[in-house]
Amino acid sequence: MLGRMLWRSVLEGRRRKSLAAITVALSAALITTLFSLSVDVGDKMAKEMKSYGSNIRVSPKAEAMPLVIDGVDYNPLKDQDTLEEADLPKIKDIFWRNNIVGLSPRLAVAARVEGAADTSKPAEVNLVGTYFDHPLALPDDPDYRTGVRATNPFWRVDGAWPNEDMAGAPSEEVLVGANLASRLDVKTGDELTLSLAADSGAAETVKVSGILSTGDAEDDAVVAPLALVQGMTGLEGQVQSVDVSALTIPENELSNRARRDTGQLTAEEYDVWYCTAYVSSIAHQIEEAVPNAAARPIWQVAASEGVVIGRIQVLLLTVSLAAILAAAMAVSSLMNTTVLERSREIGLMKALGARRWEIQALFLGEAAMVGLVGGVLGLIVGVGLAQVVGRSVFGTGIDFQWITVPIVLVVSVATVMLGSILPARSISSLSPAEVLHGH
Amino acid sequence: MAPMDGTAFAAVSDDAATTSAPIPNPSREVIGCDALSRHFGQVAALDDVTFRVGEGEFLAIMGPSGSGKTTLLNILSLLDAPTSGSYRLDGIETANLTEKDRVVIRREKIGLVFQQFHLIPYLSAVENVMLAQHYHSVADRDEALEALERVGLAERAGHLPSQLSGGEQQRVCIARALINAPALILADEPTGNLDADNERRVMKLLESLRAEGRTIVLVTHNPALGRQADRILRLEHGRKA
Repeated sequence: MLGRMLWRSVLEGRRRKSLAAITVALSAALITTLFSLSVDVGDKMAKEMKSYGSNIRVSPKAEAMPLVIDGVDYNPLKDQDTLEEADLPKIKDIFWRNNIVGLSPRLAVAARVEGAADTSKPAEVNLVGTYFDHPLALPDDPDYRTGVRATNPFWRVDGAWPNEDMAGAPSEEVLVGANLASRLDVKTGDELTLSLAADSGAAETVKVSGILSTGDAEDDAVVAPLALVQGMTGLEGQVQSVDVSALTIPENELSNRARRDTGQLTAEEYDVWYCTAYVSSIAHQIEEAVPNAAARPIWQVAASEGVVIGRIQVLLLTVSLAAILAAAMAVSSLMNTTVLERSREIGLMKALGARRWEIQALFLGEAAMVGLVGGVLGLIVGVGLAQVVGRSVFGTGIDFQWITVPIVLVVSVATVMLGSILPARSISSLSPAEVLHGH
Repeated sequence: MAPMDGTAFAAVSDDAATTSAPIPNPSREVIGCDALSRHFGQVAALDDVTFRVGEGEFLAIMGPSGSGKTTLLNILSLLDAPTSGSYRLDGIETANLTEKDRVVIRREKIGLVFQQFHLIPYLSAVENVMLAQHYHSVADRDEALEALERVGLAERAGHLPSQLSGGEQQRVCIARALINAPALILADEPTGNLDADNERRVMKLLESLRAEGRTIVLVTHNPALGRQADRILRLEHGRKA
């Protein structure tokens, strides 16, 4: 009987209930969109944030502090501790190897530049050797290539990237930082002579393939293939540091504690931390894999990722809660009107001996049906909306998560229930004598 | 579940006469009111009213508007409680009952007939009758159809209230009041919204119920209807006239 009443009652008040269902549907659509984005935004944002550069720097444990004055590193490289270039593939062999987007080794030295149009005497500059798009044979991927083009996608080259010699011989092509090029009046295609500042030995003639803009120290440097700098410094097979770009998840309380001291973690916490793609755990695994290496998260980048993603998720949650609250208030208003309109019906049920919960069950049952219908409608609209937002913001669709279905339906029904609490309570206080006979 | 052996409606049909009704015992008290008063703030809607109704008795409560008829009916139907005084229903003192107990007693012992019918608009005639069964115990469509048949509405069982005339709606209301075989039927101006023909049909139904031995309390303005009762209780300004 209750089911029959429920069904007839829903059909009877189609107009008002449709309005309530549409209200819930709007809320559910928003929640579906935001939840889908929220779940997917971590990955999407992490990939986006990679464009801001690498987030882990690997250097020798005993590395001395660099001495950089006016963009020139005066710290002599000789007799300094370095990393073996041959160990680089090990970075791509850790537990989170698939999260390593790229790596770029670095070997920097103070150098002199001759041949620039604006200088009659040699200019002292910082010479940086690195990979641009260099082959790095991995055990499971012999054709793997990496370098600053992968780790530093924000680098802009006016001209062409240097052509790295596949055979390992020094290329004669280099990039000149935009500030340095401006200062020395260097243009693409110019030929320069490079020699070490601390050594009057052999000089290398190089060709400027492009002008580099990074917004960083490289704007005042000459950036050359790693092999060229290794050859000039006599540090063949050695690198000073390696910048690693890794996909990570935002840091949290556990990773912050691990960052301070992994010894404070319990065995279980350590396992969780180790098997989660925190920047700190990936750095830890790199240290384990590469001998004599200290891997340090570049916290400005790593923290920014965590903060931005965390804030976006808080924003999405806040908007979702606001949508739920707004929908609940709208439903509450509609339900209040319904209760007022149907007060004689409620009074009659009470007069006939209906228990309070039986009447409330009827109204809450109607509310649940409205919530369910609104939830399904909102889910369909929200999934489509999430795709539109995903494509416009991230350039790709949002991966649909099936967990969204029960969550949105439960939230929709709960929203209507929340909005029905006060009207349902007013049912309890309604006097049948007043509504049936009047006083 | 109320007994539905066919006797409950044996005499309720439009044209039927009493055939196998149980013999009422007028000396057995169904309603007992002593010094009943109901105040709303400073206003005494009912003031020191005492009366008794025996089993099978047909009592008419009459009086002008504002005399306290509806207030008394609300108290008798346990929809309201007196400010002071005592009200016994079928031997049960109602003064100290909880709201839950009042609901139980109302659905077990009282059948209500309203002036404005108060049918659920989205339920058919038979479903409106079944609703009273549902709240009492278990809804039984066959029994509800039988009740409608006995008030002459079998062929209108599937109609919605909006598809029924006022007289038909009132007969559905009476079928609903009788479906659980209550000890007491309380009718509030049951013909107040009906034309003369339907008024006659409804009163004939009530007369049949009285003949069957039902205890009936009828609230009415109409002296002609009041004269059909065994006794008239007149109220004026909340007091017995």
